[in-house]
Amino acid sequence: MNNATSTPDLSALVIDDEPQIQRLLATVLEANRYRVTTANSGREGLSTISKQRHDLIILDLGLPDITGLAVLKQIREWTQAPVVILTVQDSEAEKIEALDCGADDYVTKPFSSGELLARLRAAVRRADRGKAEEPLLRFGNITVNLAARLVTRENLAVKLTSTEYALLRLFVQHAGNVLTHKQVLREVWGPEHEQKTQYLRVYVQRLRDKLEPNPNSPVYFLTESGIGYRFSAS
Amino acid sequence: MADVPVPSANSAVKTAQRRPSVFLSIPLIDNERIRTFLAPAWRQYVAAFVVVCGVSGIGYPLRPWVNYQTLALIYLLAEVMLALVVGRWATLLAAVLSAAVWDYLFVPPIYSFHIEDIYDGTMVITYWVVALVVGELTARLRTYQKAELQAQLLSESEKLGRTLLNSVSHEFRTPISAIVGAAGNLRAQGELSPAQERLIGEIESAGTRLNRIVQSLLSAARMQGGQLQPRLDWCEVREVINASLRESAELLNGHPIETNIPAGPHLAKMDFFLMQQAMSNLIANAAIHTPPETPIEVSARFEGKELLLQVSDRGPGLPAGELEHVFDLFHRLPNSKPGGVGLGLAIVKGFVEAQGGRVAAGNAANGGAVFNIWMPAADSPELPEEIL
Repeated sequence: MNNATSTPDLSALVIDDEPQIQRLLATVLEANRYRVTTANSGREGLSTISKQRHDLIILDLGLPDITGLAVLKQIREWTQAPVVILTVQDSEAEKIEALDCGADDYVTKPFSSGELLARLRAAVRRADRGKAEEPLLRFGNITVNLAARLVTRENLAVKLTSTEYALLRLFVQHAGNVLTHKQVLREVWGPEHEQKTQYLRVYVQRLRDKLEPNPNSPVYFLTESGIGYRFSAS
Repeated sequence: MADVPVPSANSAVKTAQRRPSVFLSIPLIDNERIRTFLAPAWRQYVAAFVVVCGVSGIGYPLRPWVNYQTLALIYLLAEVMLALVVGRWATLLAAVLSAAVWDYLFVPPIYSFHIEDIYDGTMVITYWVVALVVGELTARLRTYQKAELQAQLLSESEKLGRTLLNSVSHEFRTPISAIVGAAGNLRAQGELSPAQERLIGEIESAGTRLNRIVQSLLSAARMQGGQLQPRLDWCEVREVINASLRESAELLNGHPIETNIPAGPHLAKMDFFLMQQAMSNLIANAAIHTPPETPIEVSARFEGKELLLQVSDRGPGLPAGELEHVFDLFHRLPNSKPGGVGLGLAIVKGFVEAQGGRVAAGNAANGGAVFNIWMPAADSPELPEEIL
């Protein structure tokens, strides 16, 4: 799963008005066996999407004609293809809004190509996964058996409360993907609790205490500052 | 790219020119010259007096052709015009004066305030009420207009400032992204000699450094422009500290970090991102200003109704007289090393204060510098029962 060589070429659409970024993305993506189409503006992007199917869309939020968010909302009216947004630091509110509007992930400029490719793979995987659920997941010395509802660490069962388990399950099912606070709270505690970030803070810390090799320097349950969390199995 | 300065800033200017307003479109109120002339109150009273005398003076010789009822309407017209340019009290003066003059000079019996006819009496009273209502309504209109104008100017200048900052940010970050991204991608192109590898590393680290500087400048600009909008939500302090350690990791330069946070949840309402920046600036600051390999201690604890976040080092400490100034914008210690422009600590202060917290610097008994951040933590979060 570490590169695209074993899978057929994926078609990627890049919507960005900066020629320099377009060229860079095209070089990186083509080197990793994506077929790349570029669009210079939100409108051009939308018209390209309406004519042609894409496996993946990379969308810059700072477009000259329509806001990236408006483009995103319109994309989501037509297609569920994974969308990864390009954005800058200190635009947390915008990132959250985009993720809650259906973006799959984001990459903050300046980004490394490794980071970008990892996000794209995770986003494509999320879109492919659909119904098929892997019953057994391993990360480090931890196994999560979703079928048996069993979590072990170094082959010893880890005791989790039902809420902790629900949270862990959500995280491992979305391995590699960012989840906003609101998304997690809605899934685990229900829509009426989606503002109660404190629940999430406390429970993530509990999962870290039980499952991280070093809870103070987490490698699995990663904080996305001001946005949410990302579970990383690698 | 340089000849395309700030494309989106223009659109903000355009929005400033659009947007008509009901109040702004009343021409007389908006006549700058009349308004300036009538700014002193005494001129308004004189204007009221002149208007009433003027109408009376013109009306008097015309008595054979213009009856006194018609003249009342002319007085009223003058009153309305006057109300548009003078204040409430001058309008009232004009109303009283014109009613009296009209009654005395025009209403039979003339040269007397006496009113015989019941219709004339009704007319005098109606005239009074109308004049007062008009005066009051225009005064209110003017107050609305002033407030709206001010609000509009304020929001437009804020919007323009924000748009400018955003496009400056965009113009800087695009080339930086290209530099960092292209350098990283070079590495993926295949076998590289050690020298090539090192040069790519140089490009990458210079790009990252440039990005940090741009980030600091933009943060300072946002702060100075009052455009920080902290989003306060419950944060776990341990998480904030871990995130800031991760962020400042490449600046640590071999300084070991000791964290000291009591067990148990430490929740406080803060803006996660701003706190992370503030803490990583403090940690980076300690790493830069202390001898290599000396430890930096990061600790957090509740003190009364506040959360105390502390970064202390084992360096030479802060010189006397510097304690009050270390957080000033562009302030640098007299003999500090080259590099850095004096933004880091100013940003710490700005970010913390924007969230209702406070900062202080001091020296520890063992000589190192201590930087404290206090955040308000009077409320405690509602937690699910399972935890309690």
